[in-house]
Amino acid sequence: MLILKQSSDIFMKKILKKLKLPAKIITTLIKDRIQYPSRLVVDTLGIISRCVVLIFLYWSVFKLNNGTINGTTFIFVAWSIFFYFAFSVLHLRDIARLMMQDIQTGNVEILLSKPVSYLSYKMWWQFGAGLYSFLIITILGTIVLGLTVGFPATMGIGIFIPTLILTIVCGIILSLYLYTIIGLLAFWIQDVLPVFWIVDKAVMILGGSYLPIALFPPLMKKIALYTPFGASQFITHTIYETWQTDWYQLVGIQLFWIFLFGVFVYFMFKKAKQKVSVNGG
Amino acid sequence: MMKELKFALYAIKKNIQSSAELRTSFLMNVVGMALNNIAFIILWVFFIKSVGNIGGWTVADIIGLQGFNALCYGIVFSVGIGIRKLADYTASGSFDRFMLSPKNLLVRISTASFSASGIGDIIFGIICLGIYVSLIQANFFQVFLILFLIPFAVLVFFAVSVMIASVSFLFIDASSISDGLFWFFSTPSMFDGGAFQGAMRFIFTFLIPSLLVGTIPVEIVRDISMGKLLLISILAIFWFVFSIKIFYRAVRKYESTNFMTFGN
Repeated sequence: MLILKQSSDIFMKKILKKLKLPAKIITTLIKDRIQYPSRLVVDTLGIISRCVVLIFLYWSVFKLNNGTINGTTFIFVAWSIFFYFAFSVLHLRDIARLMMQDIQTGNVEILLSKPVSYLSYKMWWQFGAGLYSFLIITILGTIVLGLTVGFPATMGIGIFIPTLILTIVCGIILSLYLYTIIGLLAFWIQDVLPVFWIVDKAVMILGGSYLPIALFPPLMKKIALYTPFGASQFITHTIYETWQTDWYQLVGIQLFWIFLFGVFVYFMFKKAKQKVSVNGG
Repeated sequence: MMKELKFALYAIKKNIQSSAELRTSFLMNVVGMALNNIAFIILWVFFIKSVGNIGGWTVADIIGLQGFNALCYGIVFSVGIGIRKLADYTASGSFDRFMLSPKNLLVRISTASFSASGIGDIIFGIICLGIYVSLIQANFFQVFLILFLIPFAVLVFFAVSVMIASVSFLFIDASSISDGLFWFFSTPSMFDGGAFQGAMRFIFTFLIPSLLVGTIPVEIVRDISMGKLLLISILAIFWFVFSIKIFYRAVRKYESTNFMTFGN
């Protein structure tokens, strides 16, 4: 019994030690964002410039089509677009560009010689950097959209909030892995921007940014479901009626891609490290 | 004026030569951007398939719209990408070297850098306009109109870019602010033109000139509308003159952050 308790204590200590770095990164970045709110202002401006303009345009498109397109009403489209852009406030895609900069400038040599994992540091930093804006904008946006457009009935069901959080967490991990792979490519091809553009546009189209998934043709809907580009943005699926029955299947797809990309990132990073020579000094 | 133009052409030539030195990267940027732009065509073609024709806008018109957009974006941000980097120049203090240059300040900044991906936009834009011409079976006059409208659309795009870049002199984190403002301008310019009716059309034509870049030019070519042609000509010149005035007024607010260097 005593041995069991001791081993459980050691295990807990190890877990807490592992969580110390992310907790420190996130709290530091949140404090920074609270102290300097300009980033929040910029993110708010960004979401107004794209999301609000798009919602207004769709409002006028739905009005011209007597309120229904493809069996969908404006309220679902508005929320789907809002969820996409609110998620984009996390700026997870920027990890690819930042990693490319580290590699091009040689900064990666210094970071690799630190006693913390480069990838885990980068990922937690990227997540923490956008978290404050994401929380504020999502809460405020939900209130504003709820008051102006209204809430779809699907948002009132019991599983909505837990499954929404689950798919957001999976979406964050998947997006980080997806863009980390592009960032790591910089070890081989230096300028990864062309690859980044193509992947980013695939995420943009299949994620339901400018064209919500409810308006997708059947083939495109299937591509969006089964590719990692669409899977990283499953948050946009949560407001549709099909979410109640399909959520476990969609989260399953996300978990599959997370596992696959996780393994890929692990081996890719291992190979990439062999290409680096730390010269010191 | 001719002297400034000669200098701009010389700077552009040198920038292209320098960028083309890294051949693989140059070609990857060009091809990558052209492929990247196809995404917008796919997006709007599916949009029309789902929603149907709005305000008489067809798939051909969307291709024409993307053609005008890409061409404007490509021309301004290949040879004149320096204007987009103004926020970084002011933040790092590199702007000082432009102030000290005896050349025209705006020309000097705009041509300070070059973006190879802009060439991809130009190629994509030309291909789209070529497809548009064949899809609408354009006559000689319509082809002439397209060629005539390109400089006006580019002028509007450049003018708005200059005005947005002028924000760099007013804020510390200007890079993100100018990005946000640029999205505010460019998002409606990519959208199906038929969706802009009434107040929305007024706002995005006169107050935020997004529709002048692609939507109005496509409608001019499609409907051979002389009224709209006159409108875009007047507005393009107005925005250009106005943006230069705004830019030089904003420059006065510049405070150097230079640490005794000549920038990079």
